[in-house]
Amino acid sequence: MSLFGSKFYDFFTHPDDPALMAIEGKRYGYSGIAVMGHDKNEKTIMPDDFSIYRGVEIQAKPSRIREEIKKYRDSHHILIVKGGEDEINRAAVETEGLDILVHPLEFNNVLAKAASDNSVSIGFNLGLLIRLRGEARVRELKTMRINLKHARKYKLKLILTSDAHSIYDLRAPREMVAISSLFGMTEHEAIDAMSATPLNILRRKSLDYIQEGIEVI
Amino acid sequence: MKTIPTLREKKRYLAFEVMSEKTINRQDLVREILNSMMSIYGDKGATEINPSLMSFDGKFGILRCEREKRVETRAGLACINNIHGIRISILVLGISGTIKGATEKFIQQTLVNKPELGKK
Repeated sequence: MSLFGSKFYDFFTHPDDPALMAIEGKRYGYSGIAVMGHDKNEKTIMPDDFSIYRGVEIQAKPSRIREEIKKYRDSHHILIVKGGEDEINRAAVETEGLDILVHPLEFNNVLAKAASDNSVSIGFNLGLLIRLRGEARVRELKTMRINLKHARKYKLKLILTSDAHSIYDLRAPREMVAISSLFGMTEHEAIDAMSATPLNILRRKSLDYIQEGIEVI
Repeated sequence: MKTIPTLREKKRYLAFEVMSEKTINRQDLVREILNSMMSIYGDKGATEINPSLMSFDGKFGILRCEREKRVETRAGLACINNIHGIRISILVLGISGTIKGATEKFIQQTLVNKPELGKK
């Protein structure tokens, strides 16, 4: 299948040992991962054509989220907010400069509109589906279905993440596509969510990028 | 007795590799695979997928499934996270129409390539 010829990225991982995660990630078929809040990126030995990006997960009170995003906005790190209640989601999507809002609860049309205005991608945390069973998983699947519906309507960028804490939480791209089909995502959407959207975020984070349509040549 | 070819089940064989903290035995893996699929697709879905473990040596294995249910089988395998507290992840190496094909194409290939993984 030529669909799987593109580069795949996982933008939400918290490994204790990034080097090991990088080796496993490459074997699974990824081209890069983003590690949350890890400073020692330069020292880790990386396999060829694999990159580790630094991400910042913003955890703060709803009233503080806006300031936190503004603080990190120009740092060229990938900014991620783990969604939750309505207030957190609202503060996150209404601030310019955020890249990904992972797994928001109680997502609605107002938030989706704001997210589309500020080009915030909606993350689907597939790690929850891997780890949970039964009633809890039903709840998460339902949330994901609602998020997907809104994302389609407002043409938001989707992104699939594994939320991996160790190498045992990582799944290969084809498996991620299979899991995402559980809540109604098509193969095309899932592949775009692992390759096109992350590449777009990386382009926006590059030093040459100034604004949509303007670039240093 | 063998039935006529048109009435036979159309099947596919998935070659997979298990990564785990400790080695796990065959019986636990079979139970967990069925458990995971029943949890996602229910009794009806699990019978439609019709999974059966053909061989497993502690690291590599081959699982048979229905031809039209490859994606569902992958999802079922991917959702396995731990067996009796031992963390585990399953990587599907490839899908083939015969056991011989799955073994030669994917499992032996992986074994041949493994020493080179470090060098490359």
